Amino acid sequence: MQYRDVIATALGQIAANKLRSFFTLLGIIVSVTFLIAVLAIIQGMNVYVQDNVAGAMIGTNTFQVRRSPINITRFADDDLDRIARRPIISKTDAAVVREVMPDAEAVSMQSGWPTPIADVTWRGRTVGDALVLGVTAPYQTVQDYRIAQGRPLTDIDEEERRAVVVLGADLAEKLFEEVDPVGKDVRLLGEWFTVIGVNARKGQVLGQSFDGFVLMPLSRFEMIYGRRNTTTVSVKVASAEEVAPAMARVEEALRVARHLRPTQDSNFSLETSDALVDFWRTLTRVLFAIVPAIVSIGIVVGGIVIMNIMLMSVTERTHEIGIRKAMGARARDIERQFLVEAIVLATLGGLLGVLSGWSMASAVAAASPLPARVTTWSVVLALSLGAGVGVAFGVYPARRAARLDPISAMRAE
Amino acid sequence: MSTTAERRAVVSTPGATPDKDWVIVTRGLKREYDMGGEVVRALRGVDIAIRRNEYVAIMGPSGSGKSTLMNLIGCLDTPNGGEYWLNGMLVSKMSDDQLARVRNKEIGFVFQTFNLLPRATALHNVELPLVYAGVSSDERKRRAKAALAAVQLDNRMHHRPNELSGGQRQRVAIARALVNEPSILLADEPTGNLDSATSTEIMKVFEELASTGQTVIMVTHEPDIAAHARRVVVLRDGLVASDDKRATFKQQMGLP
Ligand SMILES: Nc1ncnc2c1ncn2[C@@H]1O[C@H](COP(=O)(O)OP(=O)(O)O)[C@@H](O)[C@H]1O
Ligand SMILES: [Mg+2]
Repeated sequence: MQYRDVIATALGQIAANKLRSFFTLLGIIVSVTFLIAVLAIIQGMNVYVQDNVAGAMIGTNTFQVRRSPINITRFADDDLDRIARRPIISKTDAAVVREVMPDAEAVSMQSGWPTPIADVTWRGRTVGDALVLGVTAPYQTVQDYRIAQGRPLTDIDEEERRAVVVLGADLAEKLFEEVDPVGKDVRLLGEWFTVIGVNARKGQVLGQSFDGFVLMPLSRFEMIYGRRNTTTVSVKVASAEEVAPAMARVEEALRVARHLRPTQDSNFSLETSDALVDFWRTLTRVLFAIVPAIVSIGIVVGGIVIMNIMLMSVTERTHEIGIRKAMGARARDIERQFLVEAIVLATLGGLLGVLSGWSMASAVAAASPLPARVTTWSVVLALSLGAGVGVAFGVYPARRAARLDPISAMRAE
Repeated sequence: MSTTAERRAVVSTPGATPDKDWVIVTRGLKREYDMGGEVVRALRGVDIAIRRNEYVAIMGPSGSGKSTLMNLIGCLDTPNGGEYWLNGMLVSKMSDDQLARVRNKEIGFVFQTFNLLPRATALHNVELPLVYAGVSSDERKRRAKAALAAVQLDNRMHHRPNELSGGQRQRVAIARALVNEPSILLADEPTGNLDSATSTEIMKVFEELASTGQTVIMVTHEPDIAAHARRVVVLRDGLVASDDKRATFKQQMGLP
């Protein structure tokens, strides 16, 4: 018997029982839909984090000198204790970095996580929950902020600890509407600040506006919040290729400045946006492991349903099997016919699941800022899961069918 | 023409391989069914020898073992004892796969209950033995159409069994049995489910096949149908009770 005939027979059988085949496959379809959709969404989030979040948080072609690393999931408890005892990143450290990086686009210092939140008031109108960032002037270069109105923060603002702020576009619009904000005095944490500029709109990342910030000189920020141990130095270089050598230079200079012996580990961390992506990946890797595990349970259940239906089908088609054997079908022809039918059925379930998962992921992509990415490997995984289930749960019914004796099988009706 | 004595000589020589001229030779063929302790002895040692081109009717009362014998000759079943030679091959020692191959190549079987695939068209039903013979699709179609044309069903090729009359179904079954050009055509009460007019029609088909040289072995209850055959074997209680040429049988039955 030729394979074409085997597959044609299987498809004919499935087509003859469309509704039953569909219900048989429901378990597999739902499981695979879930698998494809969830993996596509996670994959989309990965891409999104890589393309938007990481760059937006840290800046392009930028690395940070931090007291603690971004991705702490990599560290054991005693490492974390050591990190907790590290000195904070000080103005002296920033000066060292500035000195070894004279050709950097910008070297800035800024307040770190968690970013404090405050209400901003102007003439009785209050906008709540503005994120307050203490930054040195070059931070605006690091983040590629464009000034829309007024002027940016300057080194003099920093030195003189001036009570001035640059507002994000959203914040300025909510607070001032049609009025020109430049030169107006706003109240923030019980103090008066003069608005010197408004940043151009940067847009949203992960539904989070990057235009709701209040930027103030870091020196002024520390007068309010004190010296925080998450202060960070950012270094922006001209191109991506320059990041790695610059990091090496900065690391060396800081080790010298902090009098570390060659055997000692650095008591600071250097991070690029890769670390952020990495951190995110660590989180999603867990999901990547868990989702297929959950899905496998669904698929095994789906496989058992297929096995049941195939056994039922063997019983119903005993007469047919008898006829086929009488006409010269060998046991292995019958076995192959039923096995192929189970595989085609289960793979079809996988295929339908891929399609419905795909459309679900596309729907999510259309309705949210997340790009959903259906990857080749998840499709391959889904289809091979389907085929695998077909084999695993098709063998037993197929063997049963193959073992039937032609005479008694033909007598069955 | 062979004589009864000649046949006896062939079947009663133990260990000898019969010459190629004998399509079927059985020696002491036994088939027992174990019905939970009680043994039903359906065949108790059947000796039979059939030459190429013979047209043989098998008769006997119900339960005498006719179908059991046909199933053994048709390689659908294996004996508990004795030997069965088909075209000089010792079938009684063959594996299941070899038996499947013999069924496919050497045997055309027509059943009382037609045994057609209910959802397949007449054409596809006739193609079935060729599918398992590994014949290509085009060749299969060509040969199946020719076989259906030979039983005057070329205008019913795409009908399913439930769209055909009983006589037409049995013709499809005959076309299916012949499509692989088997060395023997077996029929177990092929008219048992048909009215007398249709029976006559179907018997005419077998008659014609036999007259063109097809070896035919047929089980039947009806003496006038058996009268078409040139040789009649009568079974009784799992043994051959008589095995005679048509003339003898006619005399036995008091027919002209
Ligand atoms: N599958 C079977 N299991 C048990 N007994 C059977 C089976 N097939 C046939 N027999 C018995 O064998 C004997 C011969 O049956 P069968 O060959 O069908 O007779 P016939 O076709 O001449 O009417 C009967 O007694 C029948 O009951
Ligand atoms: Mg019978």
